[in-house]
Amino acid sequence: MSDQPSALISPIPLENVPILQLRARLKTELSDGNRLGLLTAMSSPNGSQIISLLVQTLSGGVRVLISQLPHDAASYASLTPDIPQAHWFEREINDMWGIRPLGHPRLKSLVIHDTYPDNLFPLAQQVSPALMRKRNNRAAYRFSVVQGNGVYEVPVGPVHAGIIEPGHFRFSCLGEVIENLEIRLGYVHRGVEERLTNCDWKAMRHVVEAASSDTAAANAVAHAQAIESLAGVQAPPDIQRLRSACVEIERAACHIGDLGGICNDLGFGAGSAAFAVLRGTVLGIAEMITGSRFMTGVIVPLSHRNMPAKPLCTAAANRLHECRKQLQSTIPLLLQNSSAIERMEGMGVMKHSLAQDFGLVGPAGRASGIDYDVRKVFRLPEYDCMEWQTPNLYDGDVLARAKVRATEATTALDLASVMLASVTPVSAPESVVELPADSAGVGIVEAWRGELIHLILTNSDGVVARYKIKDPSFNNWTALAVAARGNLLSDFPLCNKSFGLSYSGTDL
Amino acid sequence: MLPALLNYLRGARQTRGPVLPDLMDVNRGLPTLTSSPCIHNEGCTTCADGCVSDAISLSTEDTAMVTLDLGKCLACGHCTHACPTGTIAASRITRTAVRQRSNLVLTAGVTSPPAATNMREMFRNSLVVRYVSTGDNATDMEVNACMNPLFDASRFGIQFTASPRFADALLIGGPVPLAMHEPLRATFEAMAHPRLVIAAGMQAVSGGLFTGGYTKADGVGKVLQPDIWIPGNPPHPWMIIHGLLLAMGHPLAFANQLDP
Ligand code: SF4
Ligand code: SF4
Repeated sequence: MSDQPSALISPIPLENVPILQLRARLKTELSDGNRLGLLTAMSSPNGSQIISLLVQTLSGGVRVLISQLPHDAASYASLTPDIPQAHWFEREINDMWGIRPLGHPRLKSLVIHDTYPDNLFPLAQQVSPALMRKRNNRAAYRFSVVQGNGVYEVPVGPVHAGIIEPGHFRFSCLGEVIENLEIRLGYVHRGVEERLTNCDWKAMRHVVEAASSDTAAANAVAHAQAIESLAGVQAPPDIQRLRSACVEIERAACHIGDLGGICNDLGFGAGSAAFAVLRGTVLGIAEMITGSRFMTGVIVPLSHRNMPAKPLCTAAANRLHECRKQLQSTIPLLLQNSSAIERMEGMGVMKHSLAQDFGLVGPAGRASGIDYDVRKVFRLPEYDCMEWQTPNLYDGDVLARAKVRATEATTALDLASVMLASVTPVSAPESVVELPADSAGVGIVEAWRGELIHLILTNSDGVVARYKIKDPSFNNWTALAVAARGNLLSDFPLCNKSFGLSYSGTDL
Repeated sequence: MLPALLNYLRGARQTRGPVLPDLMDVNRGLPTLTSSPCIHNEGCTTCADGCVSDAISLSTEDTAMVTLDLGKCLACGHCTHACPTGTIAASRITRTAVRQRSNLVLTAGVTSPPAATNMREMFRNSLVVRYVSTGDNATDMEVNACMNPLFDASRFGIQFTASPRFADALLIGGPVPLAMHEPLRATFEAMAHPRLVIAAGMQAVSGGLFTGGYTKADGVGKVLQPDIWIPGNPPHPWMIIHGLLLAMGHPLAFANQLDP
């Protein structure tokens, strides 16, 4: 039996680090087995604060560093030149708080588009109707320009050709080959984090489920963990096991769906149909134990709503096992198919060294040799139920990502099946949680796309002052832009699908 | 590879037989109002107290005491579980799309969205759909599922197209935040007349939990005028297909529908 999951140990250690020392400090920490989980900001009575969350990837643990800015300071020295992972986080801080990271190599808007009024910094101020009516003189977004003989631009989006989320891709091409790709997101910025600091705590779980609604279960689990770690309480082990089973079912369903998507982008209809049917089976099992195909509305802090009875869990476990057999006979349609392999091999390569610099997470990271899996690092007890491995490949191409995802889907079905078989329904009251003042709560989950973090910070009244969600996609978008270089424009959809990133999780 | 292929070829017919069936019993479905009287006049407020999306309003005037807006409902299952009298109960019908936004608002006595009259039948046998996603990727997945072999919407003459130029209907999922207002309008403007607008899912219908904020994510209705409204969070593929069939004026959309 392993120790208690470290992420849930409360209180989460908070440490004040002077802003002038932050850059050097983070550099040392990152070379010491830590990764930058997230970087964000927060208001305090004495001025803004820069918040860094460090994940200890060797021993499993989370720390939060708080750097106070002087009272009226609206800038600080950018961390990105030394810490490339901070790149998008700092753009977000600039957008949401109006705090400028000075010396940032490419400071542009990330989520607040030029359609918004001037001086709107949604998390730094109370947004009034008068402010929303203000004129908009924001400078238009400027894409990087690639110059040279014969270079031309192909703008794609925000509305894409397929049934997929909106975002803008600006390709600079030479002939059919992509020389550069710039990705502009923010089209589905819905104000999730602002909502989370202004709603009743019972509504929060529903807001987080909608943050990236294809990752509803993992978001609900991260939320429950964050609230629990803040309040210093734990849900009973059976409930934690059931939650993890839900996260694994979600993982299986989404990877299977995307394997079908890869077939589709290869022009391989039969494969696409086979995976789609299988995904339907997995969603049917999700529906069986939660009443919802996307497992919404059941995973809550401290408790679990409508806990499935023992026979239902057993039946679901058996069906998952059946499903695993079908998956095993379906995967070769794609991965032992010479024409499919020919298309995927060597395409959209993400090198290991770059993957490390950008802090890639999840299957995309594991396809480029980044051996980081939240489930392994934080050693949740329910994952000791069987022997299992996370795949780790080095090629970093579409094929490697497809292989990793196929293996993870299979393992997820196994894990979910074993966990469900040992769930015994318990009743745990959903008692109202008192939140302590000036504290932090963290939830960290290996969602199907990778490391998902929820950070909650309370103010001196014990009220949620900041709720930050770091979707796994946030780390991986830059990788997609880099991986696309040197490939044919017409191969981009396939490359994109192999990453399968979330637009809404990033835009929030 | 060979065994895999054989296994695939041996596979049974996958497409589901009955069209627009009720959801499985295990699914919590959407809430509906029954004829069983509400006891709000005795002080009960259980359903509305636990509804985080303000989908339920209670009043003590005359007999219609509960009003339930399916266009705001998250399908969380709280009210259907907690109502002591069974006034609010789970409904698993998938024929839930309507032509008027107000028809998603149920009041006591009107227990399901009424069927529409005066069909526009120009798309009776073929509907080409352009889908625009605006921030609810679960709905995207369910729209995708409509075309898989299980649901196979193409057998009704439904196709999805990449170009709004070819489209008869614009199907929209998600709450339509500010940065998507213009792209959505532009997509609509690119479509030839006649053209239909369909809001898929509670977020598209009302903005859901994001409504009223600085991002103006208040649903499709604030940008375009939908002809069809589909509730659900996310809507089940059958519910989406029902919305599309209703847009076509397809007889299947009306069979078995409870009369208003
Ligand atoms: S099921 Fe719908 S109406 Fe009922 S409480 Fe939940 S959100 Fe409200
Ligand atoms: S509908 Fe049911 S829960 Fe709501 S007030 Fe009436 S009796 Fe109470």
